[in-house]
Amino acid sequence: MLNYTLRRLMFTIPTLLLISFIIFLILDLAPNDPTGNLPLTIPPEVREKIRQSLGLDAPMYIRYLLWSQQFFINEPLNLLNQWFGWCIGDCEGRLRVSSWATRSPVVDLIAERMPQTLWVVGMSYVVGILIAVPIGVISAYKQYSWFDQIGTFIAMIGFSVPTFFTGVLLIVIFSVWVPNDSFFWLPSIYDTTLEVVDWDSFMLQVRQMIMPVMVLGLFNAAQISRFMRASMLDNLSQDYVRTARAKGLKEKTVLLVHVLRNSMIPVVTVIALGIPQIFGGAIITEQIFKVNGLGQLLIIGIQGADIPLVQTLTFLFAVLIVLFNLIADVLYGLLDPRIRYE
Amino acid sequence: MLDDKKPLVQVQDLKMHFPIYRGILKRQVGAVKAVDGISFDVFEGETLGLVGESGCGKSTVGRCVLRLYEVTGGSIDIDGTDIATLSGAGLRAKRPEMQMIFQDPQASLNPRMTVGSIISEPLDEHMKMSKTEKRERVGELMDAVGLARRFADRYPHEFSGGQRQRIGIARALALNPKFIVCDEPIAALDVSIQAQVVNLLEDLQEKFGLTYLFISHDLSMVRHLATRVAVMYLGRLVELGDSETLYLTPKHPYTQALLSAVPHPDPAQAGNVERIILEGDVPSPANPPPGCTFSTRCPKAQAICKQDSPEWREIGEGHFAACHFIE
Amino acid sequence: MKLKHLIAGMLGAAMLSTTAMAQEERGRDGNVNVIYWQAASILNPYLSGGTKDIDASSMVIEPLARYDENGNMVPVLAAEIPTAGNGGVSEDLTSITWKLKEGVTWSDGTAFTAADVVFTAEYCMNPDGGCQQLSKFGDVESVEAVDDLTVKITFSVPKPFPYGPFVGSTTPVIQAAQFAECTGEAAPTCTEQNFGPIGTGPFVVTEFRANDAISLEANSNFREAGKPAFATLTFKGGGDAASAARSVLETGEFDYAWNLQIAPEILADMEAKGIGTVVSGFGPLVERLMVNQTDPDPALGDGRSTVANPHPFLSDLNVRKALSLAIDRPLLVEIGYGKAGNVTCNVLPSPAIYNSPNNAGCEVQDIAGANALLDEAGWVRGADGVREKDGVRLSILYQTSTNAVRQDFQALIKQWWAEIGVETELKNIDAAVFFGGDQSSPDTFQKFFADIEMYANTFDGTDPEAYMGNWACSEIPSPDNAWLGGNMPRFCDPAYDALLAEMAGTADINERARLAIAMNDMLMQNYIMIPLVHRGNVSARANTLEGVKLNVWDSQLWNVADWSRAN
Ligand SMILES: Nc1ncnc2c1ncn2[C@@H]1O[C@H](COP(=O)(O)OP(=O)(O)O)[C@@H](O)[C@H]1O
Ligand code: SF4
Ligand SMILES: [Mg+2]
Repeated sequence: MLNYTLRRLMFTIPTLLLISFIIFLILDLAPNDPTGNLPLTIPPEVREKIRQSLGLDAPMYIRYLLWSQQFFINEPLNLLNQWFGWCIGDCEGRLRVSSWATRSPVVDLIAERMPQTLWVVGMSYVVGILIAVPIGVISAYKQYSWFDQIGTFIAMIGFSVPTFFTGVLLIVIFSVWVPNDSFFWLPSIYDTTLEVVDWDSFMLQVRQMIMPVMVLGLFNAAQISRFMRASMLDNLSQDYVRTARAKGLKEKTVLLVHVLRNSMIPVVTVIALGIPQIFGGAIITEQIFKVNGLGQLLIIGIQGADIPLVQTLTFLFAVLIVLFNLIADVLYGLLDPRIRYE
Repeated sequence: MLDDKKPLVQVQDLKMHFPIYRGILKRQVGAVKAVDGISFDVFEGETLGLVGESGCGKSTVGRCVLRLYEVTGGSIDIDGTDIATLSGAGLRAKRPEMQMIFQDPQASLNPRMTVGSIISEPLDEHMKMSKTEKRERVGELMDAVGLARRFADRYPHEFSGGQRQRIGIARALALNPKFIVCDEPIAALDVSIQAQVVNLLEDLQEKFGLTYLFISHDLSMVRHLATRVAVMYLGRLVELGDSETLYLTPKHPYTQALLSAVPHPDPAQAGNVERIILEGDVPSPANPPPGCTFSTRCPKAQAICKQDSPEWREIGEGHFAACHFIE
Repeated sequence: MKLKHLIAGMLGAAMLSTTAMAQEERGRDGNVNVIYWQAASILNPYLSGGTKDIDASSMVIEPLARYDENGNMVPVLAAEIPTAGNGGVSEDLTSITWKLKEGVTWSDGTAFTAADVVFTAEYCMNPDGGCQQLSKFGDVESVEAVDDLTVKITFSVPKPFPYGPFVGSTTPVIQAAQFAECTGEAAPTCTEQNFGPIGTGPFVVTEFRANDAISLEANSNFREAGKPAFATLTFKGGGDAASAARSVLETGEFDYAWNLQIAPEILADMEAKGIGTVVSGFGPLVERLMVNQTDPDPALGDGRSTVANPHPFLSDLNVRKALSLAIDRPLLVEIGYGKAGNVTCNVLPSPAIYNSPNNAGCEVQDIAGANALLDEAGWVRGADGVREKDGVRLSILYQTSTNAVRQDFQALIKQWWAEIGVETELKNIDAAVFFGGDQSSPDTFQKFFADIEMYANTFDGTDPEAYMGNWACSEIPSPDNAWLGGNMPRFCDPAYDALLAEMAGTADINERARLAIAMNDMLMQNYIMIPLVHRGNVSARANTLEGVKLNVWDSQLWNVADWSRAN
């Protein structure tokens, strides 16, 4: 298993390099102009100068190499410097991948946004799983019961009703209809500057997370609960479940120890494969509630043709996707004794 | 000779109908009558063979008898208790007495549990044993089925088919059952292994005084193993009788057809039996024909067969059948 | 007796005002929340032309003078506005001398001096810095500190309107000490400075989260006592205009929301809840059609849309005029902008003194008149109803950026033009491409490979000279100048250029207005551009927020120091 993992990791490196180049190529070919969103009052000569100052006059491969150097060499060195104080090479004047819009290092922007994305999107994933697993289990166990029917219906709605609808609906109910001073009132705008220092600020944080987390959580739950149900149904009809019942085990034990554990194997891998999406942020939900996490960063980058930002973010997502694919495979191997990678 | 045996299992008018759901709302629109009114006894210490074509409901009977399904109707009396209506703790308390050996040993073993824990799990549930006692008991059982004790920490997928079936047998034996349903226990095994497992089952029966309901579509194997044989067609029994009698003088047209297709153990007599080929397909148990369920294929069918269901009656000593035209 | 009373009254008033002063402490009103649905990326206007960035930074760094809500210049860091009258502007119009306010300090307590102003000019004029406000420093020859409180800006040409540099929020003064190491190529690398400039304004940055939120607190060294009333200000960004409006008008979470370009009726519904008010103001922003005077035919290759090839039919004034007559402008306003739009017949409708009175009447749609005009000019309808003359069909390719309102306008106008026998093909292009200067793209508004294009344009500040300069012959984009230049219609008239030259030598404001109106009329009466809608700015404020004066001539947050909470 270790060998297998290492071998897979080794193959990952050239794959990712190739991906980074392809992303660069696509972004370069797309008709984009970072000065396109500037007010029309800025004259064309000035625009041209701005483009030059961004290095856009250099040929494509030079720009790619520059980005690669900044991303693959300078950024890791900078991390070493920031985390451990190790200074290798020119620590002060080192060029980092910088956003064209904010003129600040992209990696710092990402780090700044990580907390809210992880809190909101990550929490919604956790909530989604916590809702989905029991629903999936009960739906499968009581297949075609009213519970299952309602579960199926809700899951269908969860899939098909877009989050911008549920999000705005919740806002209209809990922020607009419910009066401001009511206990049930919830903020429609996420305050990223809120620092949790005491109970009150913690409660504020909880309150402002409720709506975005619920909106996304329901969406996630809809998907995962379907997987869970299908996987449970697969297992419930297996002979080993009869064996367990024949052993005279309690129904709870049969369900939770035998069926659920086996059913979780594919679900766990699906969950692992979904984790990169958390880091990708939930673009729409983040926009609606102004969570301003990684998804919103990407969108702003795309709108503003902020190529270094878009390139870096997309590439990091690619890394996460590749990595979590590997993790999912390894997890599968660890969880299911029948699977052996050689 | 049968009179001095007392029945361990008495099944009366057993019915198992699986609901069929259709449409977006998944409303019940009908039922698969997998088992539709079956009665038989299994005597202590004997092996009752249950034969029939695939899909006729044999496994369902086996599972019902062990109450692995919520039965639709009828009674199942095991050692004096009707388990058809038991549930929860009452049923669980009864479980140790009755066990099952499955057709597919791979599927019947939880892939994520080691052999040791598969065998010892029922001990955890039903007996108060210390860890060492349990380990010893697992060891004994593995000895009994001919598995090396050192395999206790391995997972089922690491074994061959025959070994897996031995694991399945060991775990069935763990609680000292009286009654075991063997649902085609050798059908999925290599021919070379089949005999070993059959011999093992016979040895164990002798050693522990077990009672078997042996389900199979392999008539010659059943003839070899079973004391008595029951023949099933489309959710109903068509004939039941002493093994020898039934094989030598099958009365029901379906039994006759089945047996005519079996290569006779005694080639000298083989010529006497004319091969009967059945026409058409087995009807769907969701929509069985009226009257005698065999009437759509029976070579001897008459008009009455399509209207009236033949009665299940004793046609000789301990010999039962359901056909309008048997005296 | 009377005098005694008077003195007593004055004393009383003085006492009252001191007690009033005592109440009016800086930071007395707690926190105020401002939402811009476009988040601020940086607080240095020299590195970003975005309105959101300029407005956000205007709370921190200030220019020498700015425009008030009426478009009048008011001194900020300057003691007064230099004019020819007070000797601040030289006779020959080539230099302007600014006197700075005394006693102004930066938020770090150090003194603000002329050296900071000089540094700022050098910072922006450094050719390697990529300064986005460079055009404001056009023709600046030198900026010198005469003494600590006097700055002299010299121009290479006479500048009748010398208020480009340091007037308005686009060119604030940054602190020399803080940005000393950030000039030229180093400018973009100074993240800390660009995110947290030290300023003279009412607020200082406590936390800057790029493209997200800014936390600010009152500047304890702010020169005006008792201001700002708010101790802290949160500047949140992100989302869309509708949710920003909702947060002020419906949920009450925010106090001020910027630029609410949403369907007029939705805004009215939100306002009906009664916790906030919609405020609007009109600058010089005009949505207009540009009429290509040159032939965009692809067959012309490099000569496409260049002056060498006059347009086959749009060079006919009658056609251009007919196109304008066929448009129902009040309907466009109603559909697209509601309260945020007015009908205009001028491309320069604002400030008021520049608004020409000579073109009225365009608000009435006149299909019959347009048809008559075309009939008379010999454009006859063919079998398919499309007019033609000498084998030239009135078939128009009409492009604009992708935007719901613009696409509605396109559809309506196509319909009207069909009624006068003009066939129209519509095209919309992603804004980033259309307005982007990508040389390789054929779809930029500068290349103008179409017959008609539509967008809105405006200018900063109140002086239209540079704006009117867009339609000079020299401003025509062509392959020779890499398609740079603002004269999209490719209009070229020596008489127009002469008016421009005259304006460049005229300082008197009324004379300047006359010239600007003359240029506007020339463009309008020749139908070089067809104005559609005078677009306003719409924002919203909470009813408890006092002091908001919507300013279309400068940052919307220009007077944030005067904002306070109603009791
Ligand atoms: N859980 C179930 N739900 C619905 N139909 C079933 C179920 N189990 C078995 N059946 C149906 O009942 C009939 C008998 O099946 P089974 O008992 O497995 O037959 P056999 O073991 O004789 O091959 C078949 O038609 C089968 O499809
Ligand atoms: S009852 Fe009729 S159909 Fe059924 S087995 Fe007998 S003869 Fe055949
Ligand atoms: Mg079966």
